[in-house]
Amino acid sequence: MIGDRRIRVSVNGTAYEVGVEPRTTLVDFLRADLGLTGTHVGCEHGVCGACTVLVDGLAVRSCLMLAVQADGSEITTVEGLEGPEGELHPIQEAFLEEHGLQCGFCTPGFLMATYEMLTDDPKPDEDEIMEVLGGQICRCTGYQGIRRAVDCAIDKLGGTRPADVFGAGGPEGPDAPDAPDADPVGADGAGEGSAR
Amino acid sequence: MTVEIPKRIDQLPNPEPRYIGKRVTRREDAALLTGRVEFIDDVALPRMLHAAILRSPFAHARIRSIDTSEAEAMPGVEAVVTGADALRWQRVSGSSPDGWGGRCPAVEKVTFVGEPVAAVAATSRYLAEDALERIEVDYEPLEPVVDPFAAMEEGSPLVMEANGTNVMMHRVFTWGEVDEAFDTAAHVFTERFRWNRVGANPMETFGTVCEWDPVTLEMTVRGAIQSASFMGLGRAATFGLPTNLVNVKANAHGGSFGGKGGGRGIDIAAMLSRKAGGRPVKWIEDRVEYLTSGGSQAWDRHYEAALAVDADGRMTGFRVTLVDDLGANGEGYGSISAAKPLTAFTGPYTIPAAGYDLALVATNKLPSGPYRGMGPPPHFMVLEQLVDIAARALGVDPAELRRRNFIPPEAFPYTIPSGNEYDSGSYEEVLDAALALAGYDDLLRWRDAARADGRLVGVGVATAVEPGVFDWNAYATVGLPQTGVPEGATVSFDIRGCATVRVGFAMEGQGQYTLVSQVVADYFALDIDSVRVIQLDTLAAPPSFGPGGSRLGVAITGAVLGACERLAEKMRTVVAGLMQTTPETIELRGGRFGIPGVPEAQMSLAQVAGTMLARSDLLPPGMDPLPEATYVWTAPDRTPADEMGRAKSYLTAAQAVHVVAVEIDPDTGQVEIVKYALADDCGTRLNPVVVEGQTDGGIAQGIGAALYEQYVYDDEGQPLTASFMDYLIPTIAEVPRSDKAAVVTPSPFTALGAKGCGEGAIHTTPAAVMCAINDALAPLGVRARETPATPERLWRLISGAGVGASGSTGEEREQS
Ligand code: FES
Ligand code: FES
Repeated sequence: MIGDRRIRVSVNGTAYEVGVEPRTTLVDFLRADLGLTGTHVGCEHGVCGACTVLVDGLAVRSCLMLAVQADGSEITTVEGLEGPEGELHPIQEAFLEEHGLQCGFCTPGFLMATYEMLTDDPKPDEDEIMEVLGGQICRCTGYQGIRRAVDCAIDKLGGTRPADVFGAGGPEGPDAPDAPDADPVGADGAGEGSAR
Repeated sequence: MTVEIPKRIDQLPNPEPRYIGKRVTRREDAALLTGRVEFIDDVALPRMLHAAILRSPFAHARIRSIDTSEAEAMPGVEAVVTGADALRWQRVSGSSPDGWGGRCPAVEKVTFVGEPVAAVAATSRYLAEDALERIEVDYEPLEPVVDPFAAMEEGSPLVMEANGTNVMMHRVFTWGEVDEAFDTAAHVFTERFRWNRVGANPMETFGTVCEWDPVTLEMTVRGAIQSASFMGLGRAATFGLPTNLVNVKANAHGGSFGGKGGGRGIDIAAMLSRKAGGRPVKWIEDRVEYLTSGGSQAWDRHYEAALAVDADGRMTGFRVTLVDDLGANGEGYGSISAAKPLTAFTGPYTIPAAGYDLALVATNKLPSGPYRGMGPPPHFMVLEQLVDIAARALGVDPAELRRRNFIPPEAFPYTIPSGNEYDSGSYEEVLDAALALAGYDDLLRWRDAARADGRLVGVGVATAVEPGVFDWNAYATVGLPQTGVPEGATVSFDIRGCATVRVGFAMEGQGQYTLVSQVVADYFALDIDSVRVIQLDTLAAPPSFGPGGSRLGVAITGAVLGACERLAEKMRTVVAGLMQTTPETIELRGGRFGIPGVPEAQMSLAQVAGTMLARSDLLPPGMDPLPEATYVWTAPDRTPADEMGRAKSYLTAAQAVHVVAVEIDPDTGQVEIVKYALADDCGTRLNPVVVEGQTDGGIAQGIGAALYEQYVYDDEGQPLTASFMDYLIPTIAEVPRSDKAAVVTPSPFTALGAKGCGEGAIHTTPAAVMCAINDALAPLGVRARETPATPERLWRLISGAGVGASGSTGEEREQS
């Protein structure tokens, strides 16, 4: 059951050209086909936000999108946040310092939603923050640590765009490739090792 | 050798502890924040299959036949299981009251919507789900029973016919002279309450990867498992296997709160694996499955309760009649939620006599299971509202009435009528701290002024005791074995003096790996980064239960300190041998062993460990050369239950006071929390950041239970809350910021004086919110006695549009 539609996507700056079954959701594609398991599934019906990733810079619920719909897109997942030497992104640092996570299952979604928000507006007001975080569910923290973490991330970034932290070429950075032209996993190889 | 575990931080062999009691950021977090931690759905094994489960669409039906032949013939399908396999391999579940419980998948009949009927393992989850559509099940629908009162009536449909009744258990407990207390009381306040089903809903549902080899019968279970060893024992019992054939490797998991469930998912995946020649089978529960048929639902309760109060406002008796709707067959330990209130029945008060009339009833709903707090949160909602009813009737300030009845600090350790012993407490101090933080007097003035303007505003003050350090003794009342609960740890040094601690539980969110590192680092004066914590499989790990019942922080601290003490003693013996003196003259201080006051007679940890590992020929004869030690901690001095269920069971008693102010919109019934302040006392705070995080999370869950969350069934037993659109988990918009104050009364019984604190807030928050709502409604003469207090319920009360099921189900009445 190797997929019957070929798609080209760039994920965290790496280009892929692979076949997927049309019914494969984007989150299943990222997790099972590409092995990027940092993105989590909490509800599979679009409410919890655990599966949030950036598609062309916009936060989307990858459980509600099909992989084929992402054809031609640039995708950023939580794996794309850290720096080239494994440095935590300031948003990640802020969550660490402010106890913004307990089990950590919802956390990638919160990080990506925060990342998008601070890309749009490095100094969001209270309403914006509540609006964005209000779309994500966390069952552990009661949100207090997360709220502090977002304030801390705003301070740490000090107006810098999240994408510019590790210099050009970082996630969503200006030098991210427009269209994938390489296939690091081989023609259909992305399906190998996955269940399909 | 007896091991003395330090009861205070200043008893550690280190004059300058750097971590314990400090706000230490968590060592777990970097891996979690970067997506590196392996959750169960991230596991991929060679030749792994994927399972999907076919579930009953009926609440009650006989299974006439199941035809799986078409599904089995589909390409990619490797195994199918049904009740026939369960009948062959499984015993009846041991997690139900005696004589109840069943097998899974269902045999002969289904007793709730969502009950597994068959399951498929295929080369992908997509294919497995396709195959479910090809399974034909012929059902004969039976009349369901959904209401527990109807279920108790003669002639009701029976969930399990063989038992001849739907009443799983009915017991009446009497502690002290409760009849006399009520007969002679100046005032008696009686009320009915309804707590609707709520549940844990961790953000990660349950999942497992099982291998059950048909040749060796060895079973390897990976999964999002809260208590790995307990799950392993359960599977061995279910399948009649020697316990050492089941090895559990728990993955880090996305929360649990008691409601992870999973036993049945493992059973299914294991049977599929066995039928597929032992290939690994992954089953990941989806959210709809979790909500309708997982470990999700708890506490479906109908209460009638009464409080006896004397002329000067002292509470003299407390009576509770509880009809607890456990759903079908009682699987999953729902029964212990009804028993746990015995460990804190009378809360923080000196009420001398109490009674508990407890009925556990079966209906055609999902069996109810554990959830954070395990039963007392509804119980305290009841007690605290009765206290408010009394305060209002007597014209006494509710905070004052509570103060008058508090157990005084000098009375600890204090044995409550239902038998448990509270270790320590400073209840008035906690009350004062909470009232001061809330600005209680100003709040009351604000309330009175707003009320004068016709607004519906209220202030609630509620208090509760959190029994900490779970122990099975309390559950003899519902038929469970009376035993303690062990937690073990092994601490070892390598040749460079780095420490490794081996434990038996997975990361779950409470920062326990950080706690373990804090303790070892401070004991041996190490940098926290030179301590590593690793988790072992159940067959390799020291005995462990893991998190649950607010126990792990206390238990693992005891285990780690016990191991440190043993290891230090061992190393002292080595050093004494090398220095040709006796072990008593060698002191461990600030991470060095030596003779006090003799600077040249000192050895570093690395030197001692290195000598033990590399020059065992230099050690005292017969000495074990390993620089490691294991200690298994259990709560000291616990007692089995007597005929009235009285046991010294939970080791610690934390306490809290929450103050909440609310405003209710009279047009919509919407509740807004305008102020939230609390003080709590959970003894020594080993990592205050983590303690506060536990409180914050518990408040959010408590607000959910009080205002939003409810599992709803229709009259046919169909669940109507199968998604997060229907079952409403609070978001950041619903959870207010809270101000917190800490009072510290160390436990005299535990390592470093810490108390269990993982469940505290959910004991108090629902009570506090309901007290505030009823304070707001008091001028209207109506009372909200049902949780969640949804806008619709409150609007009906306010508008007088109808009471009945959603309103005050019993008039508050006073007999004098
Ligand atoms: S998993 Fe996508 S929104 Fe919940
Ligand atoms: S940290 Fe566990 S769900 Fe958010």
